Amino acid sequence: MVEVEAPDPPSRRDRVLTWALPLVALCVLVAGALTWWRASGHDQEMVDEAAVRDRVLIVATSHIETLNSLDYRKVDEGLKGWAAVTTGTLHDQLTSVSEEDRKVLAEQKKISTGSVMDAAVTELDDDSATVIAAVEITVRDGSTSGEDAEPTVKRNRFAADLVKVGDDWLLESLEQVAVNMS
Amino acid sequence: MSTSLVRRWAPFLAALALILGLGAFWQADRERNTDHVGNRAVVDAEATTEVQSAVSTGLLQVFSYDFSDPSPTAAAADEFLAGDARKEYDLLFKQLQEKAPGQKLVLSAEVQVAAVKSLDADSASLLVFLDQASQRSTDKESSISAAQISVEAAKVDGQWKVTALDLF
Repeated sequence: MVEVEAPDPPSRRDRVLTWALPLVALCVLVAGALTWWRASGHDQEMVDEAAVRDRVLIVATSHIETLNSLDYRKVDEGLKGWAAVTTGTLHDQLTSVSEEDRKVLAEQKKISTGSVMDAAVTELDDDSATVIAAVEITVRDGSTSGEDAEPTVKRNRFAADLVKVGDDWLLESLEQVAVNMS
Repeated sequence: MSTSLVRRWAPFLAALALILGLGAFWQADRERNTDHVGNRAVVDAEATTEVQSAVSTGLLQVFSYDFSDPSPTAAAADEFLAGDARKEYDLLFKQLQEKAPGQKLVLSAEVQVAAVKSLDADSASLLVFLDQASQRSTDKESSISAAQISVEAAKVDGQWKVTALDLF
């Protein structure tokens, strides 16, 4: 018969080493991983909002330029472009331009080109935003008599409200920021 | 047999888990101090308001001028301007000092909007719409101008200063 050494009854020290310590260590690991995960997303909300801000600024810049541009040779096309980037009352106004007004626009023989020099977002929500823009508007005379004339250049200050419609940001209002000294 | 195996490896596994766990805490700390946003304009409301109001206050004072007492304007320039903006302004201010008393010139400025384009811990750029009224009491002439200014600002010793001004 082979004598088998009876295993020592597990001592208190052994039990701690075998079970309690690994358990504590596991807790530390889980807590650490959880903290890391949470920390890596600590400013995710701001990151998302910043992306929206950047997108709004790009879209607003393009829309503001559209609304400040019109070619007398392509009035209908221009008005269609205006309609496409607006919503609400502004949209209604721009889509209800009468035949007569269209004719006037065509007969003025002006080519306006708006260019945003600088712009910034002032307010931002999930579905609405306000943008201000410094806009340079160049107006060329397209009539034969004015062909050689220097284009006139105006600089304007604009404030625009945008709202999110579906996935698009559209202009709800576009107003000049007039001088207002109290 | 298996219990003795567990008993032998348990301390090592525990040590490993402990090291990884502490490592994760350390990483978490690093992550927390990492800025993933970059440009904090608008999205960090507090910091945005801070630079907005500093730049607004600064420009308002710097672009206001009274021939009878130019010292507040000069003091504002000291307080709110730095770098290139300071140098350019000094030239402008010198010209003002020369012609203002003769014309009894009074300038008053008002900031309509100051919007922050970009912002981080110590630098910012803004677009400012500023109105300036000028009165010459010699010929009772007054005029109001609307300006659009692109502004660069930097935080120096905890205070925002305008470092560059670009009028359109």
